Amino acid sequence: MMRRILAIAAVLAASVPLAAHVGSPTVAFQGRAGSYPVRVVIRPPEVIPGQAEVSVRVTGGGVRRVTVQPVFWAYPNGAPPADEAKPVAGEEGLYASPIWFMTQGSYSVRVGVEGAAGRGVVMVPIGPVATRIKDMPAGMGWVLTGLGLFLLVGAVSIVGSAVREGQLPPGEQPDARRRTKARVAAAVSAGLMVLVLTAGKKWWDGEDAAYRAGLHRPMAMEGRVDATTEGRVLRFTIVDTLWRRNPPTPIVPDHGKLMHMFLVREPALDVFAHLHPVKADSFTFRTGLPALPPGRYRVYGDVVHESGFTRTLVDTVQVPAGHAGGGLDPDDSWHAGAASVSGEAALADGGRMRWEMSGDRPHAGRETTLRFRVTAPDGRPAVLEPYMGMMAHAVVTRADGTVFVHLHPMGTVSLASQQLFDQRARGDTARDASGRLVLRAGGNAHAAHAAEEPGVVSFPYEFPKAGRYRVWVQVRRAGRVQTAAFDLDVP
Amino acid sequence: MVFASFAVILGVYWDVSWHRSIGRDSFLSPPHVSIYLGGIVAGLACAVVVLRTSFAGTEAERAASVRFWRFFRGPLGAWVAIWGTFAMLTSAPFDDWWHNAYGLDVEILSPPHTVLALGIWAIQLGALLQVLALQNRGDAADGERFYRVAYAVTAGLVLLNVAIMSWEYQYRELMHQPLFYQVACGIYPLFLIGMAWASRLRWRFTAAAAVYTLTVMAMIWVFPRFPATPRLGPIEHMVDYLVAPDFPLLLVAPAFAMDLLARRGERWNRWALAAALGTTFFAVLLAVQWIFADFLMSPLARNWFFGSHLTSDYGGLRPWEFDDYGGGTGGMITGLAIALGISLVSARIGLGWGEWMRRVRR
Repeated sequence: MMRRILAIAAVLAASVPLAAHVGSPTVAFQGRAGSYPVRVVIRPPEVIPGQAEVSVRVTGGGVRRVTVQPVFWAYPNGAPPADEAKPVAGEEGLYASPIWFMTQGSYSVRVGVEGAAGRGVVMVPIGPVATRIKDMPAGMGWVLTGLGLFLLVGAVSIVGSAVREGQLPPGEQPDARRRTKARVAAAVSAGLMVLVLTAGKKWWDGEDAAYRAGLHRPMAMEGRVDATTEGRVLRFTIVDTLWRRNPPTPIVPDHGKLMHMFLVREPALDVFAHLHPVKADSFTFRTGLPALPPGRYRVYGDVVHESGFTRTLVDTVQVPAGHAGGGLDPDDSWHAGAASVSGEAALADGGRMRWEMSGDRPHAGRETTLRFRVTAPDGRPAVLEPYMGMMAHAVVTRADGTVFVHLHPMGTVSLASQQLFDQRARGDTARDASGRLVLRAGGNAHAAHAAEEPGVVSFPYEFPKAGRYRVWVQVRRAGRVQTAAFDLDVP
Repeated sequence: MVFASFAVILGVYWDVSWHRSIGRDSFLSPPHVSIYLGGIVAGLACAVVVLRTSFAGTEAERAASVRFWRFFRGPLGAWVAIWGTFAMLTSAPFDDWWHNAYGLDVEILSPPHTVLALGIWAIQLGALLQVLALQNRGDAADGERFYRVAYAVTAGLVLLNVAIMSWEYQYRELMHQPLFYQVACGIYPLFLIGMAWASRLRWRFTAAAAVYTLTVMAMIWVFPRFPATPRLGPIEHMVDYLVAPDFPLLLVAPAFAMDLLARRGERWNRWALAAALGTTFFAVLLAVQWIFADFLMSPLARNWFFGSHLTSDYGGLRPWEFDDYGGGTGGMITGLAIALGISLVSARIGLGWGEWMRRVRR
């Protein structure tokens, strides 16, 4: 138990756990605004209220104007006027603008493009949350301390001068009594100021504590694998009081599943599973386990709330030996094996997948495209089929577990979240609900973009920091899911 | 100096209104420029005065100044104002960092804003002290009338400054709660008596309170005539004008009563006078503000003059009902008794401070 707690603590402490990702706050989106292909990157602030940086790359000419606008409820309720994004010098088709997020929760950035092909808009969901309090830069700390001391000494001196000479008629020199009185007054005022500063420090600490209490924190989770007669069953339970005291809006399916759960075996990251638990009760998700080898696994559960807010629930579990459990979802998939370091991996069906890095090698903090070419066993470009509505899925994790994100060709955003903003009830501006949705018939499994080139899939992404990353890419060919694993050192 | 103080305090009210209507701002927004320009003008003017007095002053000028850090000489008020400018300038990077660390302005009463308010108050106090030194030495005979008015105006500006810092505790929905009176009794007797006592006007308290009242009312009449667009989302309450400040407290009423009392009690024992002033302030404020609060909540106050519908927060319209007070009758009586006690202490300190100010000569 103790080891388990330590393991969880290590994962949580090492990461900055955020919304639908772990430690990877930048939102990257690839899609269309009307007929304009756009790539939108949003770098959210770490403090709320705060300013995010939005950049929009539009391919195709004739663009006259690009606008960005934060939307919290159904557009246009409560949305401030759109800001015009300014062209970035030296980068054709790139526009940038800062944008303000005033509250934590589910926002959407409405990107508008005007040009020769008319006007197009697209909503890019983002869930900005306050994640930390910025430290004061050392230089500034010294400057402020210096100024503070100067003010303190200045104030004491002024009190001294005032008592010594302030009430004397012009020209008269202070006598010994006044001089002594001035010294006493200066000493007393210095003492008073220390008291005031102490009170000020307490106040500051109080403000700081209040702000910290409002920081986004990961939900406390408890994962457990039980060996039953029907096989091993994983139960993933929300045990956080926050969830009871301040319940978020209900969880809604994202590309057809209530939760997308990923299991990664520690420490070698050699086993990977993509499962789809169902709800066992209000707080527990449940799934059978496929034929995974025993060991300690990191568990990541991606969910989308009705508000459009997305989050990743995190824990680690010990998987005992046992046979595959019942109750698997037909879309569940898993993979075991070492990762390719050469950029080329063999697939289970005999085909191959190659990571195409043409000049644009990923760097930390720089938007990039992860591009993969899949070939069939006969060497020809693979004919890919949608897997849960997506042409491909990718999971990126830093070797130490401090980064985790689930990508699709449309980027880091959740399709359900994006659709929720289109389906919002128009009149609703209730702060807590942040927009109930109007339920429509039909699922949301229509996101499959045609592949850009036969057998090629790509994902927009930005690695948040340097380090060694493991990337799993999943595609479906001839009715079977194929998974490839890659390792990459990001400088 | 008076002009600079006015620019500063106007800038502060403008800035609060700006935040509540438009929301987004930058370091160089017009209200900020007004605040800092006022502060810098005051500081530079005083710096010129002290440098001249220290190194090129006439014998008379040097004789009428205080020594500071051995080599410098200047009027006491100039030193206080220079200190205020430094405090204001210190608050700028502090406040900027604060917003980077904890988020954009959502509260008025924060540590960096307190440093700013202290600086502003020091500039105002510096202006008061400089007028007082002239007046108390008898050097102001030429412009006696001007100085008296300038003094009263500046004392009113001090009230504006403390009013905005206590803003969040003086909302109309709190006016039927002890906390409202405790806060008001803590600050107003102190600053009203402390700053205005040395004035030579017959209606010294009333004049200072009137400056505060008329300035805020003028802002209620003027601000909403300017268009403004909220630029931060989500916008919970859409406005298209610069929102007005809340209607001023009826400080004029207790101030008038205190003036009447002070004229009779000029020669009383200072403890007795302070007790009488403190009690008067508490009793009159309670009587008029409690009833006036009902009026502010009523539809009768929703017009251009009182403007109770022209003020809003980013979070939406201001309430038309009083906040629940959970303390019951016993809690109310105890709470108000505490307010009275605070008023007495506040008045005594204010009177001591005012007495000291009356004797300032340099």
